[in-house]
Amino acid sequence: MADFDAQIRKSQEEVAEAQSKISELTSRIETARQKLATGGDIAIDIENASLEDVHAHTELMNANIAELIMGLDDVTTAFSKDFDEMRNKTGWESFVAVFSKGKSDSLRQERMRTASIDDKLQDLIGKSDVIVKLLEGQLNILNTQKEKVEGNLSETLDDREATVGDLERTRAEIQGMDPKIIELENKISVEQDAAARTKLETQLADLNTKYNGLVQQEQVMLAKSQTLERYIEKGKTWIDSLQNQAATQLVLINKLQTDTKQRVVLYDALSKSLKTAQQQDVAHRINEIGVQTDQEAQAAMAGIGSATNARMADMLEAHEDHMVFARKVLEQKAKADERFARRFQKIVEKHDKNLYGA
Amino acid sequence: MAHTPENRDLKAELTHDHVGLTDTFAARRYFRKFEKITAHLARVAATMEVERRLSKTDVALIGSYVEAIGRTFQALAMKYLMTGRDTGTFFGSLAFDAHESGFPVCRELMTMANDAQQAERHLSGMMAVADLKAEMIRTIVGELKIPTKLQFALSQRLYYESLLRGGLFWAQNDPQAVWLGEAGQDRRLYQLHWAVYDSQINLPTIYLMELEDTGRTALPKDQRRWPEAQSHLMAQSMAGLKLLTIAQGFDADFDDLHPKRLRRFHIGPMYSSAYTRQTGPIRQVLENAHSPEGEDWTLAWTVEELESERVEIQKSGWFGKVEREIFALDPFTGRGVDTGATRTERAVILPQRPYQVLAELDPPGFRDVRKFVVSPQGRVLSYR
Repeated sequence: MADFDAQIRKSQEEVAEAQSKISELTSRIETARQKLATGGDIAIDIENASLEDVHAHTELMNANIAELIMGLDDVTTAFSKDFDEMRNKTGWESFVAVFSKGKSDSLRQERMRTASIDDKLQDLIGKSDVIVKLLEGQLNILNTQKEKVEGNLSETLDDREATVGDLERTRAEIQGMDPKIIELENKISVEQDAAARTKLETQLADLNTKYNGLVQQEQVMLAKSQTLERYIEKGKTWIDSLQNQAATQLVLINKLQTDTKQRVVLYDALSKSLKTAQQQDVAHRINEIGVQTDQEAQAAMAGIGSATNARMADMLEAHEDHMVFARKVLEQKAKADERFARRFQKIVEKHDKNLYGA
Repeated sequence: MAHTPENRDLKAELTHDHVGLTDTFAARRYFRKFEKITAHLARVAATMEVERRLSKTDVALIGSYVEAIGRTFQALAMKYLMTGRDTGTFFGSLAFDAHESGFPVCRELMTMANDAQQAERHLSGMMAVADLKAEMIRTIVGELKIPTKLQFALSQRLYYESLLRGGLFWAQNDPQAVWLGEAGQDRRLYQLHWAVYDSQINLPTIYLMELEDTGRTALPKDQRRWPEAQSHLMAQSMAGLKLLTIAQGFDADFDDLHPKRLRRFHIGPMYSSAYTRQTGPIRQVLENAHSPEGEDWTLAWTVEELESERVEIQKSGWFGKVEREIFALDPFTGRGVDTGATRTERAVILPQRPYQVLAELDPPGFRDVRKFVVSPQGRVLSYR
């Protein structure tokens, strides 16, 4: 399984890279936040925090992991080879059968008795465990990043609220000054005494300075509020994207765990039912007579051959008989499959048509 | 091949009676129940020794397997201690077979074996127990929060530690040999014992085999035969195979090993009104008993035994001769062919309250079943 190992390593590298990109973006958003607190200009930092790059990479990584999960299917085809071997005779056994059918059958029986797929099952569990660990690590990172950005964002939202409040207060103050200025201007226009007029004009000049100052302040606050707004937009998009990614991870984990769970049981059941076929009543009658003739062994073997199929059918029927129907499992499985198919349709198509590298 | 609809249905059907324990308290109660049951099992085995139904060696062997089962359950209890709590980590729940088993599914033990291989690596990256506890106190006192994540970390640490300590019951426990004595000239008598966690019925199964060895080298020291015999026995240890099939196959494949007696102990199923779905009289017994928590269970225990009746000498090849065992089957009306054993004895172990109900109802299926009644104080009484 060199391919599988190589693919796992590739995925691990990509996960690491995606993780570093994700934390880089979060840290950029955080630096912007710190600058904001000290009153620096953050417009450039926000523009730099480009999501596209991260998205492109995460997509690549997810596609790779999805392929890895599909790759497990290829690992499992090794099982079907084992099953075929258990069903059929080897070359040597067929050759021996030319001289003695009985000897050939007893060779096959002996091979069946020692056959075991337990190692392979363990291998399957181990491999799917590796992938799950990979996905879980990614999921953890996504969740902690999301928490960080969320905490950050709620602070910024408070900030923005305060800024908007200030802005409105300033605006109200500016509006409140208008009647005072008009009143002064009116007074100046009707005032005849030069000294009083000069005094009024000084007052007006003071008021105008204050007015201009307030208007300037309004501009600054407006700009700050707009920057904060943009920061919040960015943060929200980032949280959305993190959430989406986390959902993808969950879908992948779910699909993989359900599949592995069912595969282990299925393969185990199949190999054991193949082995159980060795015990037939005919075979037990031979116990009393001893291994008498090849003929009887042949009869037993013929019975066992057909019994293998019958046994599988029996097993299914038996299950149906005392089946307390667990709809939940079926539904969960269907849901997991559907979600998986929806998200990875392209890869599935590629896998099914075997278009790798095309 | 895995994408066809028929396969999908078959897969779903095969796992339909596997149930996940997702509630924290349900999971903890489940493990507490098993802790009690395994403690009772050892006492029941001791009672059987007093009655001379089992030898001292048998009881020691079975006792060690039962202890191993107990340790496995303790490890799993640690692994799933925080089930159902938000630990911040995506974590599964214990899957157990709710139908005719009541034990965890075999995959849990296989996963455990997989975890055990990586236990050391996990432990090296974890905080020490004392540090974790100190950190917990800091969280409780300082932040006034329940330290769920730390609790989870500690439970995982204890789980991996118990895996490293070993002595657990694995999905496969390879055969070991105990020397019993000489049975004649160049005939050594051994007791082989091994155990598997049967993946079809999801129950622990213990095998004891007495055999005579006429090989040149003593079996456990024979570099060729012993590994072969071990892997042969492991590959044949399935509940679906009758003892006769196993013993005959072994006898046929090894010319100088002569199985004289083969016994198989099925531990379980465990029935509990709170956890498992059961059919037949046992369901009514458990429901009528209305037992308090911890006393609402029944554990079945089945012993199959196959003995060699006589030996026949057969030709092997052109010059050789080998002994072949002819095994004694159940003498009563050909039922032996069905069971493939000389004797089959069933027993149930149950607390006092369910037993009272069982005695009142007296269902016909239970008349020839041995009943071991256990009290919370640990006394074991046996009824026919």
